[in-house]
Amino acid sequence: MALILHLLQQMCVYLVIVYMVSKTPLFKIFTEDAPRLPHKVLIYLVFSGFCVIATTFGEQVDGAIANTRAMGAVLGGLLGGPVTGFLIGLTGGLHRYGFGGFTDLACAISTTSEGLLAGMTAFYLRTHNKRALLFRPMFVFGLTFVAEVVQMLIILIVARPFDQALALVEQIAPPMLLVNSLGAAFFMSIVRDQKTMFDKLSSAFSSQALKIAERCVGVLAKGLNEVSGSKVAQIVKDETNVGAVAITDRTKLLAFIGIGSDHHKPGTEISSRLTLDAIEQNKVMYADGVEEPYGCSLSPTCKLGSCLVIPLHSDTEVIGTIKLYEQKNKLFLNINRTLGEGIAKLLSNQILYGELEEKQSLLTRAELKLLQAQVNPHFLFNTLNTIAIITKRDAEKARELLLQLSKFLRINLKRTSGLVTLGEELDHVDAYLAIEKARFPDKLAVEVDVPTELLSLKIPAFTLQPLIENAIKHGISQSVEGGRVRISGALLDGQVELQVEDDAGLYIPPKNREGLGVTLVDKRLKKQWGKEFGLHIEWEEEAFTRVSIHLPAPVLEAAQ
Amino acid sequence: MISCLIVDDEPYAREELKDLLSKADDIEVTGECSNAIDALGFINKHKPQLVFLDIQMPRISGMEMIGMLDPETMPRIVFSTAYDEYAIKAFEHHAFDYLLKPIEEERLAKTLGRVRSDLRPQLMEEIIPQELQHLPCYLGNKLKVVPVHAVEYVFSDLSGIHVATAECYVHTHLTLKVLEQRTSLARCHRQYLVSPDAISEIALQETGAEVVTHSGTKIPVSRRYLKSLKQHFGYS
Repeated sequence: MALILHLLQQMCVYLVIVYMVSKTPLFKIFTEDAPRLPHKVLIYLVFSGFCVIATTFGEQVDGAIANTRAMGAVLGGLLGGPVTGFLIGLTGGLHRYGFGGFTDLACAISTTSEGLLAGMTAFYLRTHNKRALLFRPMFVFGLTFVAEVVQMLIILIVARPFDQALALVEQIAPPMLLVNSLGAAFFMSIVRDQKTMFDKLSSAFSSQALKIAERCVGVLAKGLNEVSGSKVAQIVKDETNVGAVAITDRTKLLAFIGIGSDHHKPGTEISSRLTLDAIEQNKVMYADGVEEPYGCSLSPTCKLGSCLVIPLHSDTEVIGTIKLYEQKNKLFLNINRTLGEGIAKLLSNQILYGELEEKQSLLTRAELKLLQAQVNPHFLFNTLNTIAIITKRDAEKARELLLQLSKFLRINLKRTSGLVTLGEELDHVDAYLAIEKARFPDKLAVEVDVPTELLSLKIPAFTLQPLIENAIKHGISQSVEGGRVRISGALLDGQVELQVEDDAGLYIPPKNREGLGVTLVDKRLKKQWGKEFGLHIEWEEEAFTRVSIHLPAPVLEAAQ
Repeated sequence: MISCLIVDDEPYAREELKDLLSKADDIEVTGECSNAIDALGFINKHKPQLVFLDIQMPRISGMEMIGMLDPETMPRIVFSTAYDEYAIKAFEHHAFDYLLKPIEEERLAKTLGRVRSDLRPQLMEEIIPQELQHLPCYLGNKLKVVPVHAVEYVFSDLSGIHVATAECYVHTHLTLKVLEQRTSLARCHRQYLVSPDAISEIALQETGAEVVTHSGTKIPVSRRYLKSLKQHFGYS
């Protein structure tokens, strides 16, 4: 009985130490699902140490030592795997061997096999997807129990004389079986609790971060200003529950939400040294109010007592800061510090994305301008030539052509990047075709077959015009005999299909990319309606070139 | 009288120029063509002294057309264009005659003055493409533009110049001399040019040799050209 109590006492000391260690970050290693090599080394060191201490402080019983060494070997094996377990057992065993006594060899063998047994069990469970069992205290209790039974058997088999061994086993078996199994079970339960807590904490943390991310989407797309800043500050304040949140640009406060908003007024210049340092040095600044004194630079009665300032970036440049405050009597949570830095990164990314988007849309607009500015000078001067000649022969016809030309140029110069109706786009095309027909009276035939109900369909301006210009410029006008251009529209399966087809069939597939005109048309259609819409080209040499455009027909359906 | 041809793909443009030229007593418009291919045939056949040539035309541009003309039948050229910065720069640089459309009468009169004082054709080597990419041909009466790389061989007989590709057999207004100069086709006989890429074997014979093309046609090689043909393939 005295032995049991003694061993229990020893075990309790260990558990207290373990409990204390469990509160440090070091303990996290034991909760890992698959320990890496450096962690295995640490596990080896810790549990070998366990074994050594257990042997050293064990109770001398008839030339043998009653101890809690098995706990170390079994736990080490369970957490570290077969190799680590074996090594821990071996170390503990060799150490025990050094103490001598008639059971020295038996104990050395049994401790080594206990470590190995536990390691193999862990390996088996891991490979069979039953890892959860590892952390079950009852399971660990059972395993340690079995391991200790094995130890007792080994003592009986190996230690001589047998009579003495049997007597020893009778005496030490019950306390050692009980205490080691209990100890190992308690240890694992601490590990498990810690693990559950870590998991809960990190999932709470992730969900909080995700929620902020989700709510912030798009807010900063238009850049950092007072409106977007105060929206973001509100979101961060809601989700983190800190005392106050502020957003600044490089020079002034953009938004302030929370305690102290009575004197932290948006629009005022940044006055806090901390913030200016964060901007200048591009560094996260933190004043906890204890070691690093924090005082509101605006009002001596301000309740805020600690502050975290994180710079916001666009590319490499600091464009502002986000500041998290806590009241004087409240602790600034570590989790909020980490979260704050994460939020700053997230916001920086969003600002960057917004800028990229803006740039891209600017680029498309610039490309469109370029395309429209490309009133083909050939076309223009040849048209002027044609009109000059016709003026002499048929003044009325010349006037008509001049009107068509001015209509064409007027639409071209309007340079709208928005939507127009198909009818308006066809007007533009008509003006162009009327002129081309005048230039090549016997060469060019035009056929337009677009149902009237499609004329109100909205399409991006300059969708058809470049395609028809291509059909003439690279198609018909390159064909010696002349040819026909056909423009058609149809409603197929809830999609509108517009086609521009010429019968020259002189399309040459581009080596790397389509011409600017075609690419831009496709890009704008996809931007407007998504990837499944757009433009594609079919052709057969010397037979036809057919450019088809597919768009959804929602406007039309609404009209019916 | 100076005989002259107008080449322009726009009918109004041709008509206008004809009107303007009718005011000059010593100019006789003997023909009008709406494309370079017809113009080649006309020039080879009627040998006009002066050609008004539009640059931008279907399939074969005005510049390409000049590269297809035999230097012996080369007429004096006056270019005309409504807009072509690069060409205009080149014309200015080489002092070639050109007219801007719409044509001003004074400008035309000045150009005609220059032409009258010296009707010799100008050397245009520097502005014309040295290597022809496609050949204007006829299949019966139908125009067909054949890419040079598709040609297996070309030969001449009494009825003209014939171009053979793996798929078809057409005739052209281009002369063997021009084809030899401006394409990768190699002379193998007085009447034959062959594309080195189309040769599958060269069989030596007593009086010369015979080339077999990829499509199996046999082409005669005369002793005179055998050496240069062999050199082409690395045999000395």
